[in-house]
Amino acid sequence: MTLSSAGVAGVSLAASARRALAVSAGKAARSGARRLRRGNGTAIPGQVALTIDPGALAGLVGEITRGSVLVTGSNGKGTTCRMLAHVMRDAGLHPVVNHEGSNQRSGLATTMVAHSTPTGHLPADGQAIGLFEVDEGSLPEILRHIGRPKALVFTNIFRDQLDRYLEPAYITALLERAMRRLPADTALVLNADDPRVAYLAPDLSNPRIYFGMEDTDAGRGAADPTSDFPRCPRCDGELSYTCVYYAHLGHWACMSCGLARPRPQVSVTKVDLAGPSSTSLQVVTQTADIVLEIPLPGLYNAYNALSAVAAADRCQLPDRSLSAIEQITAAAFRMEKVRVAGHDVYLALAKNANGYTEVLRAVLGDRQPKRMLLGLNDFPGKQPDTSWIWDVDFGSLAGLVPAPVVSGNRAADLAVRLKYAGWVEAGPWTDLAVEPDPVRAFQIALARTPPGQPMWVVSTSDVLLQVRRWLRQQGYVRALWREQRGPARWQA
Amino acid sequence: MKISVGYLYPDIMATYGDRGNVETVVRRCGWRNIAVDVTELRLGDPIDSEALDLIVIGGGGEAQQRLVAPDLCRVKGAGIREAVALGAAALAVGGGYELFGRFCQQERGAELRGVELFDAWTIRQRAVLGDHYGTISEARADRAIGELVVRWGARLLVGFENHGGGTYLGPAAQPLGQVLSGHGNNGDGFEGVILANAVGTYLRGPCLAKNPALADFLISAAVTRRYSAADLPPLADELEQAAHDAAIRRAVEATRAGRGKLRRARFAKAGLAPARHARCTLARAALRLSAQRPGGGSAHTSGVRARSGARR
Repeated sequence: MTLSSAGVAGVSLAASARRALAVSAGKAARSGARRLRRGNGTAIPGQVALTIDPGALAGLVGEITRGSVLVTGSNGKGTTCRMLAHVMRDAGLHPVVNHEGSNQRSGLATTMVAHSTPTGHLPADGQAIGLFEVDEGSLPEILRHIGRPKALVFTNIFRDQLDRYLEPAYITALLERAMRRLPADTALVLNADDPRVAYLAPDLSNPRIYFGMEDTDAGRGAADPTSDFPRCPRCDGELSYTCVYYAHLGHWACMSCGLARPRPQVSVTKVDLAGPSSTSLQVVTQTADIVLEIPLPGLYNAYNALSAVAAADRCQLPDRSLSAIEQITAAAFRMEKVRVAGHDVYLALAKNANGYTEVLRAVLGDRQPKRMLLGLNDFPGKQPDTSWIWDVDFGSLAGLVPAPVVSGNRAADLAVRLKYAGWVEAGPWTDLAVEPDPVRAFQIALARTPPGQPMWVVSTSDVLLQVRRWLRQQGYVRALWREQRGPARWQA
Repeated sequence: MKISVGYLYPDIMATYGDRGNVETVVRRCGWRNIAVDVTELRLGDPIDSEALDLIVIGGGGEAQQRLVAPDLCRVKGAGIREAVALGAAALAVGGGYELFGRFCQQERGAELRGVELFDAWTIRQRAVLGDHYGTISEARADRAIGELVVRWGARLLVGFENHGGGTYLGPAAQPLGQVLSGHGNNGDGFEGVILANAVGTYLRGPCLAKNPALADFLISAAVTRRYSAADLPPLADELEQAAHDAAIRRAVEATRAGRGKLRRARFAKAGLAPARHARCTLARAALRLSAQRPGGGSAHTSGVRARSGARR
């Protein structure tokens, strides 16, 4: 052995010892955090591992035999990931998923630490594939660690958490800059119906796979009041729509330069929004034509299933596995059903104007009156602005919620919003209750719900977390690792 | 009775639920049997200065400002100035407020000519959307973000501010009010501008819903312009007042929680109200407000109810 090769061996030995130490320390932090009842420790273990070995995330992800798929965007990335994981498992793969970790850098590192052996390596597995939900603001940082993903899925870009992300224009610029680092063979799986997503980094030569809705009967026809009216991504001209599905998603074209929605290779040709708890859709790819019955309501879940199919198609998973999407269950707070004192109670997270609107539309789409607790909270110092509730389409749903109860630390703002949307003076039962304490509000709402009837809790995260904690204490639901986390860390 | 509202660029200048301001005017007029005719004025549409009683423009980022500035200047500017001179009311918020001044500086120093209604101009300290920001926190650090409480005559106005520009008033301009908490125009202790019945402000929320007094000031001005007099019956504003009081309470809490030190220093530096005085004013105002309501601060009182019909 020459001196220099001994040196190289020494360095790599040191690096691998460091990796092992990082993983072990991360695992210790994870069990420590659990023992201290600080939840599952979704960020700390990753943080610890990355502090000891900044290359740990990149190294461990690099050991995943079949590469990685990243899913990012404003809304729906979590559900899309869980649907895609079902397809992957059905196809015999072993997805490594960050369901447990957060969707930022340290959360991904936590996931990898959890999957590693104490020697600092992933167990050898020819069927392993990475599947990571990535916060859109964290994508640039994540791509520095996961440099060569197989595919990058973009669900949509909404104006979200304004004070944090500034504007969609800023977010698209950030994403485009990050995408320039991608190798040429990373596939871009893009929502054709979202003009911001469809035209991301148009000069890149990477393969582009578009997905979109083709069933124009499911559209809203005219512009949606919740749209933030994006301009043409190429020339800033005005966009015209022949069909709007929700917000700014639809069949768009620029009136100035002629840029138009690309023709999707994977599309939904028929969608049936069956009611407040399920959806049926027909999805067509280049090789498959299948009908999916998913137990989740709303057009946004049809989009989630569509993007999962598009990603599966790109990963060349067998068509017969696509129906595994139907195994999706409602995740915590995603129309999660809980049986409480003879009532079916549905918990639904609504974290921005479009989420709030689409959840309400999914529940009230059949125009039947329903009992509801609506919540609104802010995160002082993080997201103090709640003016987005004025972009929620409450107006068209006035009179459908008898005696609504509002809660959260911004309950007063929500009450004003409902009053000006006509919820207070419409219909025979309009007695609005304002109760900032979520648990007391939940009890009021439940008492107001006639025996045996269902009730919906639609809210930003903090109200839901507190209601769910109370439900757990009362023995109605299982513990949830996420419950222990601070609300500000709540992942989308 | 009927007033006419011109809503500028509803599809472009509509960040932060700004359309809520128009919704608030429409509802508060409706509850008083005043009909409201809202005309949406888009790019290219001229202003009929005789017909409009209230002009509303919302906020938007730099991209939106660049889009509407030429149209505001060439197509609508003269009409807006004339309408206000004839007594029409106006509300310009955020990016719209900046464009109603003389000029508004953009990233990399470029200037957009404004409507020149207000003797004011906006300077951007640093670019907000420029390429030099690597991360979101860097971009965020350059903005004034948070609760804003302003003393407007004998009343308080509340809202949320989020802007990267600093607005400076010329000698002819009168500020809307004094900042009790937050940043305001440029950190000099003043917020907004008022010219006859035209108001420019950084207050968001949207501002009229949580400040019914300001909404009624504009409605009253608009009705007066059309009918030479206005006698607005009071409305049951318990919910609005609760949201207003809750915003003040949040600002007081933020001041107590240490960030107040910075604010006090800013007051002192501006040589305005002595720092301690500013804080006390705010605390006193909050106390006074909560003393007025039976049972103290109403936003935290359980079971505040609004029955059908908004009339008291």
